[in-house]
Amino acid sequence: MDPLTQPSKFSCAVDLKINGVSHHLDVPYNWTLNDVLRNRLELTGTKRACDYGGCGSCTVLVDGMDVYSCSILAVQSQGKKILTIEGLAKGAELHPLQRTFAASYAAQCGWCTPGMILSAKSLLDRNPDPTEGEVRTALSGVLCRCTGYSSIVKAVLDAARTLREEP
Amino acid sequence: MKEPTAVVGQRVMPAYGIAKATGTAKFAPDVNPPNVLWMKILRSPHPHARILQVDTAPAQAMPGVAAVLTYGDVPRVLFGPYENELYPLDQEVRFVGDAVAAVAAEDWNIAEEAARAIRIQYEPLPAIFDTEAAAQPGATIAVLDLPDPDSTSPWWQDHAKPTFRNQTTNVYSEAPGAPTVMNRRGNVERGFQESDYVVERVFRQPHMNGVAHEPRACVAVWENDRCTLWCSVQEPYKLANAVARVLDIPETSVRVVATILGGGFGVKVAGRFAILCALMARKTGRPVKIWFTREEESMDSHNRPALVHYVKAGAKTDGTLTAFKIRTYLNNGYWLGKSTSRLAHGMVNHIMDLYHVCPNVLWETFVTRTNLPSAGPFRGRSDAESHFAVDTVVDELAHAVDMDPLEFRLKNRIREGDDLCSSPGRVISSVGVEEAVRQGAQAIGWAGRQRVPGSAPGPRKKGIGMAMVIHSAGGQPFRGAAARIEIDDRGGIGLFSGTSDQGSEQQTTLRQMAAEVLGISQEDIGGTNADTAICPRDTGPISSRTVYSTGIATVRAAGDTRRQLLEQASKSLEVAVEDLELGHQRVWVKGSPARAVSWAELAGASGGLIVAQGRFNANEGHSIPFGFAATFAEVEVDVESGEVKILRLVSSHDVGRAINPTIVEGQIQGGAAQGLGYALTEGFHFDARTGTALNQWFLDLRTPSILDTPDIEPIMVELPEPTHPFGAKGCSEISTVGVAPAVANAVFNATGLRLRELPMTPERVLAAWQHARGASR
Repeated sequence: MDPLTQPSKFSCAVDLKINGVSHHLDVPYNWTLNDVLRNRLELTGTKRACDYGGCGSCTVLVDGMDVYSCSILAVQSQGKKILTIEGLAKGAELHPLQRTFAASYAAQCGWCTPGMILSAKSLLDRNPDPTEGEVRTALSGVLCRCTGYSSIVKAVLDAARTLREEP
Repeated sequence: MKEPTAVVGQRVMPAYGIAKATGTAKFAPDVNPPNVLWMKILRSPHPHARILQVDTAPAQAMPGVAAVLTYGDVPRVLFGPYENELYPLDQEVRFVGDAVAAVAAEDWNIAEEAARAIRIQYEPLPAIFDTEAAAQPGATIAVLDLPDPDSTSPWWQDHAKPTFRNQTTNVYSEAPGAPTVMNRRGNVERGFQESDYVVERVFRQPHMNGVAHEPRACVAVWENDRCTLWCSVQEPYKLANAVARVLDIPETSVRVVATILGGGFGVKVAGRFAILCALMARKTGRPVKIWFTREEESMDSHNRPALVHYVKAGAKTDGTLTAFKIRTYLNNGYWLGKSTSRLAHGMVNHIMDLYHVCPNVLWETFVTRTNLPSAGPFRGRSDAESHFAVDTVVDELAHAVDMDPLEFRLKNRIREGDDLCSSPGRVISSVGVEEAVRQGAQAIGWAGRQRVPGSAPGPRKKGIGMAMVIHSAGGQPFRGAAARIEIDDRGGIGLFSGTSDQGSEQQTTLRQMAAEVLGISQEDIGGTNADTAICPRDTGPISSRTVYSTGIATVRAAGDTRRQLLEQASKSLEVAVEDLELGHQRVWVKGSPARAVSWAELAGASGGLIVAQGRFNANEGHSIPFGFAATFAEVEVDVESGEVKILRLVSSHDVGRAINPTIVEGQIQGGAAQGLGYALTEGFHFDARTGTALNQWFLDLRTPSILDTPDIEPIMVELPEPTHPFGAKGCSEISTVGVAPAVANAVFNATGLRLRELPMTPERVLAAWQHARGASR
């Protein structure tokens, strides 16, 4: 039995709405949102590369804003709407960002990809027709070691075009 | 000429793209078996010490702790990522961060607390960190107890037992005082006498950390006397071998799964974390998981080594190189040095193969042990280490003889059929370097560059520079390659290869080659990779070898599949093989497409399964490939702030044949971005007194962000490599190599300043500018 999954003075109840599903959880105070997603809910699509807000691999959307899930405690996320990479597709229909990232080889090793895609979604929700410079500025909170970023910028601009053209 | 192809050469969707974009791709850190124990490693605070006493009782008494391992609890068996030169745990600790003990507990917080509760009494020992100091006679000895290098067998020949001797030197070499490796041809002193110009320069390069974004993880399960490991490891078969050695079980009782890695770049090799995880799983009988923190990922890794090069080189006024005399000190860290000697071998040989015209070379390299994390292969291994120094000296000599630096390089280059000092007895099979240089020059506008370096007025000075590059492309004699293709009686087609995907999408490329041979779409092919239980043994994705070596094995497997299908169809249809055609998962009679049989039916008639295997041993040919490239940089140097801004970066490559141009361009861009980090911002630094890592965090390692990286322009020169069935050669590392020298040469063109230390930070540029102005006053 995992002692930390049992209610205790070190944990408290949290309500999280993740990808449209409500979760009532008892979570240790010192667990980050990333800990809960990866280790309690098995939502391992959300990555972690540093655990201190240095790289952005763990980015999720909290009430529509791109947030480092390693740098927010689970208890701070009480009542918030959280979107992870697992909740982005509508059933079998992928989000345009997911299609363009795959096709442009913007996901090389794939470790920064979920964070990069969610950060891009946050941008496109605010600004459906960004310039290349605006894409670069918006994604500057997520580091990538593999691509040199050109394919990522292309994937975001391609997805933005698709989203504008789709009804 | 390129043969027309249907699948090869197409920009098809990367095989793992959708899984990575939807979060369903399973990496080792994502494996969470039920009832898992978390493991934590206790690390040494000392750069060099002997463990006198260990008291694990306080840790073992903590609720939730399952087991503790210290050096007394683990087999004293050598293993290694390349050579067997490490123990799972040892009494002598050799760098700040060296593993001292491991704890497994119900939760990672408990494991961390328990590791801290272990009481260790250390006897601190003198330590040494600087590579040049370490090479001197009488230097402090970094590592006292090491296996005798003379008796350390290669890792695949484990019959020889290691013996030990106390070390009296830090230099890994065959004879006292001798360099680790040497490249000698001609007579350098005579070469300098014949030279019209001679330069002598010193170059310094820092350690560089791999910074793969996925921190390494391992999950080990011990069941039915078998050990299964899901692990972030580039060479799964070497890890299986290492686990088998240490646990003293047959290698066939070890399964390693390393299908998808979150980056590797050469750094993710068989590590002690995985060995300890396996030992812990056997000891506790439960699944055990370790997942590195970022700090551990940086520290318990190997780095591109820090280097000091003393370079003397000469040329004649006609632009012929006459001699290179180089002495290099290579900071090897705490490993024995045998693995690193291979890196040094490539360093002293490859680039002298590129400048094949130069008749006189003497390059001595001293691989020195220090109390720092180990050196090892990182993207562009051997060549990123050599090109910054050699290429910028070549650039300087070109200016000295008043020749276009581009033409100067080409005049001295290797030609097809030339012999190779890096591979004695072999010749080079294809050389596309001139085309790469010319196309890159045209793209950047080389002809319009500033002719007099540093002549532009004003504080912001623009300039263009280049570098000419050689790097391994897959033909090196490693352990060999294999691939297997299976067709089942339900029509399933699987390709099984032993290489992990660290992000370079080899499975896509291999499937495209197999699909081309079989007349199908790569989307028809499934199967998996890097699962040692079901994939054939392969060396793994190192030294840009997969598209070449595993590619040849895959094409052979596809050819054998084709043969078996046709032979079975010949029996089923009662038609001679010559009268049959194959494709679209069917075999039919030429001219009568209705007389056909499906592959599923043929598999059924073959006992339910068609199995075909292809192998390739890199030793088989007389000629071997190398990759060639040219990097061009246009920079703007602000001499008031010292900032070097990259305006354009053109990376032009002799790729043989691009099997998937989207993937090749992505590899070129990504490699160049890492080269940009090496040139301008990166460097892994250690405190000079204590050896403690100073910047193991992302923001301090300064890998380029999206705002630091220009839109890198890839150029693919496709001159088919004659020894590969589709003309391909490796190209995933080479673009890293040329960036630092190209930027340094561009800074010279812009300002007249020669920078000889990496990274070229604003402080160094500013200091060079102020020094030059002071000197001219």
